[in-house]
Amino acid sequence: MCGIAGRILTSPGKVGNDLVELMDAQEHRGADSTGFAIYGLPRDEGYVLRGMGFDKSAMSADLDDFKNILHDHGSDFMDDMHIVTSHEQHYCFRMEIRDPKDLVAWVRDADAISHRIEIQSCGRTLEIIKDTGGAAEVAEKHKVRDMIGTHGLGHARLATESSVLPNASHPFWARPFSDVAIVHNGQITDYYTQKKHLERQGYRFLTENDSELIAVWVSDQIKAGMTVQQALTKSVSSIDGVFTFMIARPDGIGFAKDRFAMKPLVVIDQNGDLAAATEEQAVRRIFPNECDVINYDGPSLTGIWGVGNRSLAA
Amino acid sequence: MSETVIEVGKRHIREINEEIQEACKKGDRIRVVNTLSRHNLGVGLPDGADITFEGSVGYFCGGLNTGSTLHIERNAGWALGEGMAKGMITVEGYAGMSVGAAMIGGTIHVKGDTGPRCGVAMKGGNIVVEGKIGYQSGFMAHSGKIIALGGAGDSCADALWQGEVWVAGEVSSFGVDVNIVEPTAEEVAEVDAILEPLGLVDSSRNWRKMISGQRLWYFESRDASAWLMI
Repeated sequence: MCGIAGRILTSPGKVGNDLVELMDAQEHRGADSTGFAIYGLPRDEGYVLRGMGFDKSAMSADLDDFKNILHDHGSDFMDDMHIVTSHEQHYCFRMEIRDPKDLVAWVRDADAISHRIEIQSCGRTLEIIKDTGGAAEVAEKHKVRDMIGTHGLGHARLATESSVLPNASHPFWARPFSDVAIVHNGQITDYYTQKKHLERQGYRFLTENDSELIAVWVSDQIKAGMTVQQALTKSVSSIDGVFTFMIARPDGIGFAKDRFAMKPLVVIDQNGDLAAATEEQAVRRIFPNECDVINYDGPSLTGIWGVGNRSLAA
Repeated sequence: MSETVIEVGKRHIREINEEIQEACKKGDRIRVVNTLSRHNLGVGLPDGADITFEGSVGYFCGGLNTGSTLHIERNAGWALGEGMAKGMITVEGYAGMSVGAAMIGGTIHVKGDTGPRCGVAMKGGNIVVEGKIGYQSGFMAHSGKIIALGGAGDSCADALWQGEVWVAGEVSSFGVDVNIVEPTAEEVAEVDAILEPLGLVDSSRNWRKMISGQRLWYFESRDASAWLMI
């Protein structure tokens, strides 16, 4: 049992604050870890990286190695990085980098030291913030409430199939596709089969978490020529298990539910001002007054909510 | 009868339910306000209480009810009235998955649609839905009746035991092991007797009555002495 949430604003605003509220209301569904994927104001060049280092005592040397790999790919830091540390062994960072010559090749090389430093999101607009602990704790540590953007995702995790580690928290970035993030409630039962198939195509997974797989699976279908909607529809018949997932891109949020209708999804959509969550009591944090609620309770449901002009709306 | 008004908001559910129970003991009519779709409201209520929820409620509202009358003015979340034994629950709007799961008595009346698996594993009582019942409703219902006036979704009445699913309107698809039978006049009269206090009798309805085909039963239930030897 996990809790997931999505939020779309009609214009850029405090989407971080809203996602913290959505996840705080669902903390009982999983307090092992909490995470947020926030789509800020897009940039024309350069990427924002969010990541994690696993050994605070080796931080300086590990970041130097990370920087050297960036240099090898014609990139560099654009400004001072922001580092968040605590009493724990790991540390989190935010940095902005110039465009590498080949993003996919750079991610592949940077992942060679992923046991020391792990990139958790890379995008023109996407930033993934995740850590162990409940919504309020993670939000305070990483100043999530202050984050401005157009839309985003949230996740409260009850670890069932993999470890309680900060990097096993959700959301997951669809490595190496920039600006794609996913949150998922459920279990994928053909995980190893699907993972081997994608690994044979060259994709790399840094965790044994099934949600990481869905993000890459959907992105791979889109890369092969499918529309987002077609990929979501295909996921329902191709991925085995019980699930509700939301996948976000710069232009919107898509969702899919399994064939057996085992996991909930509740939405309030007021002309594009939209909140989606596992539980209705969470979306009531955003829309406390009585209003129409859409319960996506049925099986095999998919759809897309577009940002801004709503052109993607299903 | 005096009235007690109980505020929900962000307060602890245990505290709210204790206040509801206290008001029940005094015999007050109870209004629960600012419900915000919170879970577990009005669980384990005693016989004879009368409670109105002014707004939407979350999961398990009215669960384990032993005879109270609950009125929910908007929507209900999952597992409405789960395990209830007696009493009446009315929902003005939509009710989520597993309405009346494992209930053993009483009546649940939903004026809108329901989510999937309405009446899953129910062991008695009646569920009346004015709208459409969701995917796989009636799944493994042991006893009791699910009566849907606005049709049914896919896999309707899947794997029934001795429960009955009555549907007026379209059924998207039938579940495994369904036997669709023509109801007798006496059986229709029994259903009308359930609908009559709700003001829902309509003699022009074309009913589909679904019962188990008994092809999934792995024991001879009609010979208890035989299966008790297993």
